[in-house]
Amino acid sequence: MTIKQRTKVTVNGRLYEREVEPRLTLADFLRHELNLGGTHVGCEHGICGVCTVLINGQAARSCLALAVQADGAEITTIEGLRNRETGQLHEIQQAFVDAHGLQCGFCTPGFIMATLELLRDNPQPSDEQIKEALDGNLCRCTGYESILASVRLAAERLTTRLAAVRVSA
Amino acid sequence: MGAELPRLPGQLPTSTVRYVGQHVNRVEDPALVSGTVQFIDNLSLPGMLHCAILRSPHPHARILKVDARAAEALEGVVAVLTPEDVKRWANAHMTSPPGWGTHCIALDKALFVGEPVAAVAATSRHLAEDALELIDVEYEVLAPIGAAAAALRPDAPVLFKEHGTNVIQQRTYTWGEVDRVFAEADHVVSGSFRWNRCGSNPTETFGCVCQWDLTDNSLLVHGSFQVPSFWGLARSISLNLPANKVKIVGHPHGGAFGGKGGARGTDIAALLSRKSGGLPVKYIEDRMEFLLAGFSQSWDRHYEASLALKSDGTLTGFKVKLLDDQGATTEGYGTISVAKPLAAFTGNYRIGVAQYDMTLVVTNRAPTAPYRGYGPPPHFLVLESLVDKAARQLGKDPAEIRRLNYIRPEQFPYTIPSGNEYDSGNYEVVLDKVLQLADYRALRKEQAAARAEGRLVGVSVVNTVEPGVFDWNAYATVGVPGVGVPEGARVSFDILGNITVVVGFNLQGQGQFTVAAQVVADYFGVDMHAIKVTSAPTDSAPPHFGQGGSRLGVAITGAVLGACRKLEADFRRVAAHVLGGLPPDQIELMDGRLRMKANPAVGMTVAEVVGTMLGRSDLLPPGMEPNPTATSVWTAPNRNLPDDQGRCRSYLTAAYAMHVVMVEVDRDTGATRILKYFIVDDCGTRLNPASVEGQLQGAVAQGVGAALLEEYIYDEEANPRVTTFVDYLLPSIQEVPISQRDFIVTPSPFTPLGAKGCGEGAMHATPAAVICAINDALAPLGVEVTETPATPLRVWNLLQQARAAG
Repeated sequence: MTIKQRTKVTVNGRLYEREVEPRLTLADFLRHELNLGGTHVGCEHGICGVCTVLINGQAARSCLALAVQADGAEITTIEGLRNRETGQLHEIQQAFVDAHGLQCGFCTPGFIMATLELLRDNPQPSDEQIKEALDGNLCRCTGYESILASVRLAAERLTTRLAAVRVSA
Repeated sequence: MGAELPRLPGQLPTSTVRYVGQHVNRVEDPALVSGTVQFIDNLSLPGMLHCAILRSPHPHARILKVDARAAEALEGVVAVLTPEDVKRWANAHMTSPPGWGTHCIALDKALFVGEPVAAVAATSRHLAEDALELIDVEYEVLAPIGAAAAALRPDAPVLFKEHGTNVIQQRTYTWGEVDRVFAEADHVVSGSFRWNRCGSNPTETFGCVCQWDLTDNSLLVHGSFQVPSFWGLARSISLNLPANKVKIVGHPHGGAFGGKGGARGTDIAALLSRKSGGLPVKYIEDRMEFLLAGFSQSWDRHYEASLALKSDGTLTGFKVKLLDDQGATTEGYGTISVAKPLAAFTGNYRIGVAQYDMTLVVTNRAPTAPYRGYGPPPHFLVLESLVDKAARQLGKDPAEIRRLNYIRPEQFPYTIPSGNEYDSGNYEVVLDKVLQLADYRALRKEQAAARAEGRLVGVSVVNTVEPGVFDWNAYATVGVPGVGVPEGARVSFDILGNITVVVGFNLQGQGQFTVAAQVVADYFGVDMHAIKVTSAPTDSAPPHFGQGGSRLGVAITGAVLGACRKLEADFRRVAAHVLGGLPPDQIELMDGRLRMKANPAVGMTVAEVVGTMLGRSDLLPPGMEPNPTATSVWTAPNRNLPDDQGRCRSYLTAAYAMHVVMVEVDRDTGATRILKYFIVDDCGTRLNPASVEGQLQGAVAQGVGAALLEEYIYDEEANPRVTTFVDYLLPSIQEVPISQRDFIVTPSPFTPLGAKGCGEGAMHATPAAVICAINDALAPLGVEVTETPATPLRVWNLLQQARAAG
């Protein structure tokens, strides 16, 4: 039996401390140790992007990282997006609903996390920039048209909200 | 059956249709975007074990020994499943045709790379995989059958000794005087085509959690099954259980496209649970397992085909000879995909006679499985390529030769030579619309200008029919019995008027829970988001099939409407009684009220009626049950058994589409870029228009993948060369063209609300449209693509060939 290692991570603002096997992937750690099942796993070899989470603010494939490598990191998963108390969806999530940016929904958390990073760094991306940011995520259902539309809609709504915040400040 | 169902949305009992046919948000989506849906790998049961499967590294090998003692001794391992256990407890898989299946674990011979030979249940997946390395299997490697042609050689090994041949089926269907028509034809154009294996690849692979109850010898299976009761029935056969002792709980799942069967995985996990004394066992197929041996590979075909025509371009006959490699067994029902083209054999055309000569063989490649479209996409590639070839030969425009041969609007319902009946359509209107949308003349000018610059630019105009609402009768020719595909729904009200709809399938992506909610909401005049739609396990759901065969949108509409009709009849009786002992036929339902026909101001709301039913039995008509619940089970009307030439009314609807595509082929690399993509389609009433658009564009992506990228490559010895997504190329957001689309609506005269099956979307047409556009680009060079996918290498080889010839 492999010796376990103590690993501390902050996920969606909450600190978790666990003893884990070095071979445990971050995706399996989130899913099966922390019961954060919203991060899905599609290929486990780094191609499909279904397992995308933010590690210290950067979109990353949690199937290619080991849990022990995330020691000390701040991680954001799909569960961290909607309002914890009211359940109100984040603008990006709502935009995916309104623009039909999903069908089976299995790849969707990964797309939403990649979009979160994109719109934080580039609030008004062009279509080419959206494609560039999302071309590491595979969707087998939508043919991507409605995903593009969802990201555009989310960008528009977030920009409007930020403008409103600025005016009221 | 009771009263007839509404044939159009306008016939629903509402003055304003609020939901059906409107752009509505899906009821499924808030949970899906939140990451809170219970996909199968999110399920964990107390005491649950994890399964890992040891798989054959050889395409064909005798298994001399399986020694599991070391694995069994590893701490954390609870059970190891060996051929001995399987011999004792299980039967060979149910297949079509029967008798071409093996057991969940190879008993004495492995027939393909990836075939399970042993399996472990342990306290974690890691430990289970560790234990696989300790299992000692001794193989005697046998000569493999690497491809279809090799299966027919006299010296080929025979994979199923009991059959004495590798030919699963050889049949020739002849519809009409084919020989005469071809002899009298002014022109005959012919071609050979090779469609290489591609397949479903949903983003979620198959998974299940099985628990064997040793007390009453029954099995509980949670899993991501596309068609829960079908696979439940199959388990009862392979695991020797009465069907009512197999309970399947279908979980929401991450797409299927035909790829969610899981027969072997389920049987293995079930037997491991049995061997573990009844502990639950989870099996999650990983991507490599899926690619190697899951329900992943489809359509391995060699075609020779000919088209007979008159000098004016009239198509008179179509002959197809197919050699189809089913892989090692028929457990994946790949045979159905050979039979299905009968439902639309001659496409959109008035071709009078046809012939289909099909030979299905077993080889040592992986068994084939269903994939979106289930067979016609390669068939249409053949037909549409030959129509283009004919157009080139006669110097006709590809759009105009098609127009000349279309089935005309007044000819519907139209029976094609292979027996199926198309319900409705207006092909020329759709063709004109797509030519206009694409500005076809301008495209041709653009192409001419590009050619003048030496660029290889091509344009295609392709049309196909989508057989919708499948019926089992379509597959009788490959050994699947039966007529009709029952799909049920139970609609019930609680005492406060809240509505629950129970169905027998779970979420898969097409939005059918939303369709059910739309229909019920409009029927009873309530908010669709207040309706709860839920999936029941197989022991409590009404009869059902689930997603498949471009059918469920229509079928669930029929089931839900049937239940609503029954409830309405009861509600009218109650209201009539409460409102003064009137005859029920003087009461009508409108906008959620049961009202007097003669005086609509007098009435009761539906909530008041169900409140009365459940809370005031004293007010009910004598003898009436207090039961505001109704179940209805729908199947397509007027289906029949096939005749000796396979002819029957099989698929109920015939949606269709015309695609115009412009591509450019890179002279130096052979790479194809799609420049423009246009679609006009007609699938009757669009129940939820956004979902229909999603099906169309989603299938464009899969069609582009099949045409340009996706291929399960094997070497000559049947060794797979594709084991990861690094080798199997799925189209990303960069490769998929965003199609420009429009549509017309010709309601089906045969379905509730006039909707047609549309779930296969553009899959029928896209591969043909892309390949035909490439061939239009290559036409000046005198070479053509006849093999899919048209990878840069394949096209580059053609360009070299042209250069050498020129």
